[in-house]
Amino acid sequence: MTNLGQCRVFVTGIGLVSPHGCDDANQIFDKLYCGKSAIDLVCTETLGIKRSSLVAPANFDPVGKIPKTQLLLMDRVSQMALLAANQALENAQLLSNNTKLASTGIYLGCGLGGSQTIENVYHTLFVKKSCAVRPASVPLIMPNASAGHISMYHKLGGPSQTYSVACASSSIAIGEAFRAIRDGYLGRVIAGGTEAMLNFGSMASWDALTVLAKEHPEGAYASCRPFSKDRNGLVLGEGAAMLILESEALVTARNIQPLAEIIGYGASSDSHNLTQPAAEGQVRAMRLALVDAKLDPTAIGYINAHATGTQAGDKIEIEAIKLVFAEHAKRIAISSTKSMHGHLLGAAGALEFAITVMALQKGKIPPTAHLSQPDPDCALDCIPHVGRLSPTLKYALSNSFAFGGSNAVLIAQRV
Amino acid sequence: MTSFDYIRQVLIDKYEIEADVITSEATFENLGLDSLTMVELMFDVSEKYGIEIPTDRLDFKTLGEVVVLIDDMLNAQNI
Repeated sequence: MTNLGQCRVFVTGIGLVSPHGCDDANQIFDKLYCGKSAIDLVCTETLGIKRSSLVAPANFDPVGKIPKTQLLLMDRVSQMALLAANQALENAQLLSNNTKLASTGIYLGCGLGGSQTIENVYHTLFVKKSCAVRPASVPLIMPNASAGHISMYHKLGGPSQTYSVACASSSIAIGEAFRAIRDGYLGRVIAGGTEAMLNFGSMASWDALTVLAKEHPEGAYASCRPFSKDRNGLVLGEGAAMLILESEALVTARNIQPLAEIIGYGASSDSHNLTQPAAEGQVRAMRLALVDAKLDPTAIGYINAHATGTQAGDKIEIEAIKLVFAEHAKRIAISSTKSMHGHLLGAAGALEFAITVMALQKGKIPPTAHLSQPDPDCALDCIPHVGRLSPTLKYALSNSFAFGGSNAVLIAQRV
Repeated sequence: MTSFDYIRQVLIDKYEIEADVITSEATFENLGLDSLTMVELMFDVSEKYGIEIPTDRLDFKTLGEVVVLIDDMLNAQNI
């Protein structure tokens, strides 16, 4: 028992549709461990406007994997979510033996919902100057459509929840699912996140915010450089990451080997600024997660940082880590895998927590790629370039900090 | 291609409905199409024929009734 009278909660499956692939989570982890970046420069032309965008797109083909009639009513964001959920269920051995999922819940994080459909609607109205908008636009756009599609496809009868909390969306979804199982409300949840907004309008909006990275002279792939002195912004990615969370009772009954145990979740608000992070709120979220896990800060061996590659954000996160962990901060392995898969926004927390779970399971810590000029303001052990073996790694923490000042922290334990 | 032929082809290609159940007498319910799919189908029809089907005329039950509606509207356009 993590807490007296409460259920232990395990991760029993992972499914990823990511910039590094969409078939096997272990292969995706191997690419990350080697420091391989999936970031690329993509040139597009829309309405005569040419754009070159640094992005980390997810390549996948839903045809043949999702029924055609269901596919017709799915935005890209829901297609990725369903494919990732299918993989996660298969990875957890829940598809092969007619397991009943009637009481399983779905807890999902998503920032913008059906972003491409939103763009299509505005294209019809403002470019084609027509009011003939597709009737299914609303159900394609709504942020909870992805959760709905997953529950319909797998006949899930448990609660279907969608959290839209910008970059913390899917960490909060996982954290709330963890609590629902730990407190005995549910036995099994598909928890994770999905995001697909690498389209014209969204990219232009992000660009206007002046937070996107510029192409690095070494190549587009090296443009996201968290903790490096020469970092100059974030790179947007897309994808979906789903984890199967199950109670100890179900894990025992199914006689399966879980991937890791979730032991702590903390959430806080900066109540400071819409886009500027604040160390104080981040500190509070990390401390709450540690208290929730009943863990001394010195137990943490790895932090998958939120660090997006902006000057201000990375520095403040390091400051927050130093405040929480004091002297022990120097002994923690810290990495930002966003350097390789970009920032998946509403799906970021789930992808990074899945990576954290695999790091614990394998005893291998993924690196911060392209960390060639360690910033003195980020002077902790930020694992430059390639991964590090860590067979004794037992506890790891994953940070997610969102616009709006929402912070979420998850802690997992090796099993 | 008649309007019935067009709808028949959309139902086969897009909604994977077996050709032999697509008759004039078939209802949307018989074909397993829900209300959202029905309005999506009418959207395709509107785009194809350049007509705007008033929402108060979407109360048909069978494919045959849809075809009559479309043909009426097309004839009215041609007058």
